[in-house]
Amino acid sequence: MKASHKVMDLVRLGLHSILVHKGRSVLTSLGIIFGVFSVIAMLSINEGAALESERALRELGSDNILIRSVEPPNQESKATAEGRGASVYGVTLRDVARLRDNIPGVMRCVSVHKTQKYAHYLGRNLSVTVLGTEPTYAQAARTDVVAGRFLTASDVLLSKPYCVITRSLARRLFGYLDPLGDTFRLAGEPFVVVGVLSQLPSSLSGQDIDVDNCVIIPISTDRTRFGEYEVMWGQGGSRMEKVDVHQVILQMEGEKQVLDGAAIARSLLGRYHDQPDFEVTVPLELLEQRQKQRRLWNIMFLAIASVSLLVGGIGIMNIMLASVTERTREIGIRRALGAKRRDIIAQFLVEAVSLTTAGGLIGIATGMLIPMGIERALSVPAVISIQTLFWPFLMAVSVGLASGVYPAFRAARLDPIEALRHE
Amino acid sequence: MSEELVAFRDVWKVYSVGPEGVPALRGVNLTIRRGEYVAIMGRSGSGKSTLLNLLGCLDRPTKGQYHLGGEDVSGMNDNQLSDVRGTHIGFVFQSFNLIPALTVVENIEIPLFYQGVPRHDRHPRSRELARLVGLGDRMEHRPAELSGGQRQRVAIARALANDPLVLLADEPTGNLDSHTTEDILDLFDELHARGRTLIMVTHEDSVAGRAQRIVMLRDGQVESENHLLAKGPAE
Repeated sequence: MKASHKVMDLVRLGLHSILVHKGRSVLTSLGIIFGVFSVIAMLSINEGAALESERALRELGSDNILIRSVEPPNQESKATAEGRGASVYGVTLRDVARLRDNIPGVMRCVSVHKTQKYAHYLGRNLSVTVLGTEPTYAQAARTDVVAGRFLTASDVLLSKPYCVITRSLARRLFGYLDPLGDTFRLAGEPFVVVGVLSQLPSSLSGQDIDVDNCVIIPISTDRTRFGEYEVMWGQGGSRMEKVDVHQVILQMEGEKQVLDGAAIARSLLGRYHDQPDFEVTVPLELLEQRQKQRRLWNIMFLAIASVSLLVGGIGIMNIMLASVTERTREIGIRRALGAKRRDIIAQFLVEAVSLTTAGGLIGIATGMLIPMGIERALSVPAVISIQTLFWPFLMAVSVGLASGVYPAFRAARLDPIEALRHE
Repeated sequence: MSEELVAFRDVWKVYSVGPEGVPALRGVNLTIRRGEYVAIMGRSGSGKSTLLNLLGCLDRPTKGQYHLGGEDVSGMNDNQLSDVRGTHIGFVFQSFNLIPALTVVENIEIPLFYQGVPRHDRHPRSRELARLVGLGDRMEHRPAELSGGQRQRVAIARALANDPLVLLADEPTGNLDSHTTEDILDLFDELHARGRTLIMVTHEDSVAGRAQRIVMLRDGQVESENHLLAKGPAE
């Protein structure tokens, strides 16, 4: 049998009866329209938000393991000979050597010593964050040198008084003068600016750093010029602190080594530290967590939306049932003229599916406007992907199928004789 | 003698109402040959409608055999019966039974549609049929815009669409005035003259008088078969 054009004919027949009752069709599919609309809006906003946070995490480098020194909660000053009344905690230089030597797959191991100091230049006096680190910091932190150069190995080796500063600091300290090659004082010590960075990745440095106000100097210079103790001025006096390394960035050869490396780092540090004064962060872990979370939200949104689609589907089923009753006579006529049960089923199914498909398309069209509007108005990124459009649409179509099945079978089950007699 | 088109052999139809069931037909034997024009008459409750439903393959006999065009249709399933209706039977109803949302041409092509005749073949055929019944200038009208007689003409054109073996008319003039009734009966005569087999249920003697043979039903049995000698078989 010429089945293909019969299918087309049945589709046409289903569409025909929708067009005959335009107003009713629109009202009927309103539930679906709103359902699809809300899913798309929610999904794309969720996707956008998640992508934003994932981008921030990716900035940390998914191949990095970050180890941070943390001041333990019940820290008392260790009045030992070694401590000299200062509070001593955190990752030590020995720890760094252990980490570097014992974790397989470490490509770069970068130590960062962080202090807060004053920078002076031509009568300007600014509080800045000083990072004493190594040349490989540039790669591990994925910094962006906009002028000059980053620190080099020889700078570290020779403890050069060179520094790299962030662009906004350069602007505030030097005004419109070219900072490159110029000298300013950092806590009294002269430093030559050899490079300017655009900005440090905020998430990598941690919340306690003003990422726009950074001076990066060789770690060796930091140690020789400023010593290993830092005096912290606070309310009611000062206290001393000795932290060898504030942050260690272990850049691994690949993402595969990251999770194992982090586990080793945790147990290794745990063996030598009797108090929790370090923290191992794995951006990859966070990233995966975040992605899992995003998927969870997506599923939840789909679940919520499917409730509204369900309600829409019930509406469609209602109208279809009414339509079957109203057209009982027509069904009888068609049956008498040779329509098989499956032809009747097809007719009503096509009608229901077309209603929801059309509703779904309208929902997609309107649902796409909302995220775009939100993006423009609130500058919250919204992502409209094939997926955020495909799933709601598929749901709409299947709701049509599901809600059409019962009315269609009811129509097909009608006895032709009874149906013909129906007034 | 021409071939037997319709053959009922001891056909029973019992409706399952109550414990016993109500017999509507009680052993009907009936033979109708190709090209015949038969009127079926009887009081209400005599089994006319039941007989017509069986003839039209809308229903199956409880007992007995029904051969249509040499084929035993009494044991067929719903699907097969649908096909038989679609290819061998042309229905004309008392209340026309046109689909209001469709135009004249679209109504006529419904049987073709369900037999899977492609769109581009359906249209010419249904237009031709519309012209045949004298509605060449009303093809794009909807049933509501037509008079009763015109509607019945559409229904007749529709019944002819698949070139059926038998034309079944159930009180075809019941809803028409006497003038239009004449027109429709003339159209039947014309179809008969062209060799169509017609079976018509009616309770009006004047209408039945146009047929070659009158089958009287009473209490679910054939009471009498009268050949009207005034008319010979159209051969």
